[in-house]
Amino acid sequence: MKPTPLRHSPSRRAGGPAGCAPGRRAMLLGAGATMLLGLPSLASSQVQALPPPPATPQRNPSRAAPRFVGPYRILQWEELVPAGWDPMKEFKDINLDALTDADPRALELMRRLREVWDNAPSNPALEGQSVRLPGFVVPLEESREGLKEFLLVPYFGACIHSPPPPANQIVHVLPRTPARDVRSMDAVWISGTLRQVKTDSYMGVSSYRMEAMRVEPYKGDR
Amino acid sequence: MRTLLPLAWHSAWHRRSTLALVVFSIALATFLLLTLERARHDLRSSFTQAVSGTDLIVGARTGSVQLMLYAVFRLGGATNNVRMSSIEELSRHRAVAWVVPLSLGDSHRGFPVLGTTTAYFQHFRHGDAQALVLTQGRPFGGDLDTLYEAVLGAEVADRLGYRLGDRITLTHGLPGAAAGGLAAEHADKPFTVIGILQRTGTPVDRTVHVSLQAIEAIHLDWAGGAPLPGLRIPAEQARKFDLNPKQVTAALVGLRSRAAVFAVQRAVADYPAEPLMAVLPGVALDELWQAVGLGERALLALSGVVALVSLAGLVAVVLTGLNERRRELAVLRAVGAGPRHLLLLLTAEGGLVTLVGAALGAVLSALAVGLLGPWVQAHWGISLQWAAPTATQGLWLAAVLGAGMLASLVPAWRASRLSLADGLSPRA
Repeated sequence: MKPTPLRHSPSRRAGGPAGCAPGRRAMLLGAGATMLLGLPSLASSQVQALPPPPATPQRNPSRAAPRFVGPYRILQWEELVPAGWDPMKEFKDINLDALTDADPRALELMRRLREVWDNAPSNPALEGQSVRLPGFVVPLEESREGLKEFLLVPYFGACIHSPPPPANQIVHVLPRTPARDVRSMDAVWISGTLRQVKTDSYMGVSSYRMEAMRVEPYKGDR
Repeated sequence: MRTLLPLAWHSAWHRRSTLALVVFSIALATFLLLTLERARHDLRSSFTQAVSGTDLIVGARTGSVQLMLYAVFRLGGATNNVRMSSIEELSRHRAVAWVVPLSLGDSHRGFPVLGTTTAYFQHFRHGDAQALVLTQGRPFGGDLDTLYEAVLGAEVADRLGYRLGDRITLTHGLPGAAAGGLAAEHADKPFTVIGILQRTGTPVDRTVHVSLQAIEAIHLDWAGGAPLPGLRIPAEQARKFDLNPKQVTAALVGLRSRAAVFAVQRAVADYPAEPLMAVLPGVALDELWQAVGLGERALLALSGVVALVSLAGLVAVVLTGLNERRRELAVLRAVGAGPRHLLLLLTAEGGLVTLVGAALGAVLSALAVGLLGPWVQAHWGISLQWAAPTATQGLWLAAVLGAGMLASLVPAWRASRLSLADGLSPRA
């Protein structure tokens, strides 16, 4: 899920979560579609009523030529997801089209999907790599000198209206020097060494953390 | 240049009665700009320092800024209460490390009273992950034997002159409700001060802390905000009742892993038994700044307009004075000053006047901050204090000085265009 911060106008930013996605069924379908992006695609054979979806282009990010800024390789958010992880595995036998948003079965499915997402595994190949990743800031700890701890998420508005990202699409960032003038939902580039932290219980087996050498505002593709 | 500056100074001093008003208006503009900037800066840093290390604040469904304000800053009131059973279930969640329940609603002589557990003294952090420190005494026990114990914040103890062992009574209702003595007191159940906290510069300083069970005890024979008629439960007998709280106002939550914050936030929002919400303190604060930012910018714009008006006054005064100074300027031209020197002279004069005005404004601003600081601290828990000028304050000072010098270029240009002959033969 590549962030598209450039396409967000300032007015949209000021509006905050007003533009986030509604609809549980839309979220389930959308969630499934986005998580399958970049992985071996499996069109659901149970969705009989609809024509088969158009073939999604196979995007294998690791085959594209890696781009570097200084010593840091520019990372795509899809690479944080280990190959072969299929969050929609247990939902394939369900006909999502038949459910309305308020259906209790849809609520139950959302809850199960949340559990799958919250236990999403991280990609062991990324441990210790020097990478550069763009994303949106969710502030955690602020001090007089600036922002000392924040979470980096792939899309604007990880807020009460959209489903929060899965565990392997959140990076816990600790900037080396506190980041000044960074506000909630600012688009930034972080550069540093990506690590995986073993957490004891909740966020899957491990989650991503980075001690960021640089936190810069997002101004372009690099 | 060495001769021009003293000349400019003496020239301006000679006309000090007229220029004094201009100096005062520039001082006022500078005072507004600097004080506004200091207040903005201190407000932001106060709010940012008020809570640290807390991942989520949980309360009844309301606005996120409102929840932050009443849970952390004790400003405003809660829209609804939260069942204690929901908080207890939240504390059993896999990702939650600790929970500190908060109960608000009483006050003591204008200061809010907070009912909480002993976990508050262990887990609450402020500023740069600093823990709460007691300068005297100890935290309350939180059990039935130590029921009527209170821990005071530094501001409460200083302002009301309390020491360890003093007895205090709580008033029902939020601070402000006690105005004029109309609010009812929990007079039959006095509390003993057993601890005083170190000054933190946060709303903790102006809070009286008691245990949750104590809040239940003082409301045993009350209903709907007034004592039940005919029912009186003495303080000692209250211990025999079940004092576990059924409802609290909000709770502070800390997680095992900070990256789990979204998952727990969703879990709280989707909690089926009660309408709850959880906010991230950092995000809620940023929302507050966005909302307040508009007002701040309007005030800054207004101060900028005041500065412009005062500088226009400076230009007007010097321009009108040019008429009387034709002979003076002609004399200077006669002894060898070129148009360039006159330009420099009048610009220096305007610059000096602005400098004096700006310096006076800076002094007034520092005085105002020094005088108002303790009052603001007592009423809102925001620490407004003297400190080295911030970068933005320096910027405003430089802007006022620069604008003053630019503005005085106008009369200076006029003066340098006056011809020698015109000055030596004035047609009065």
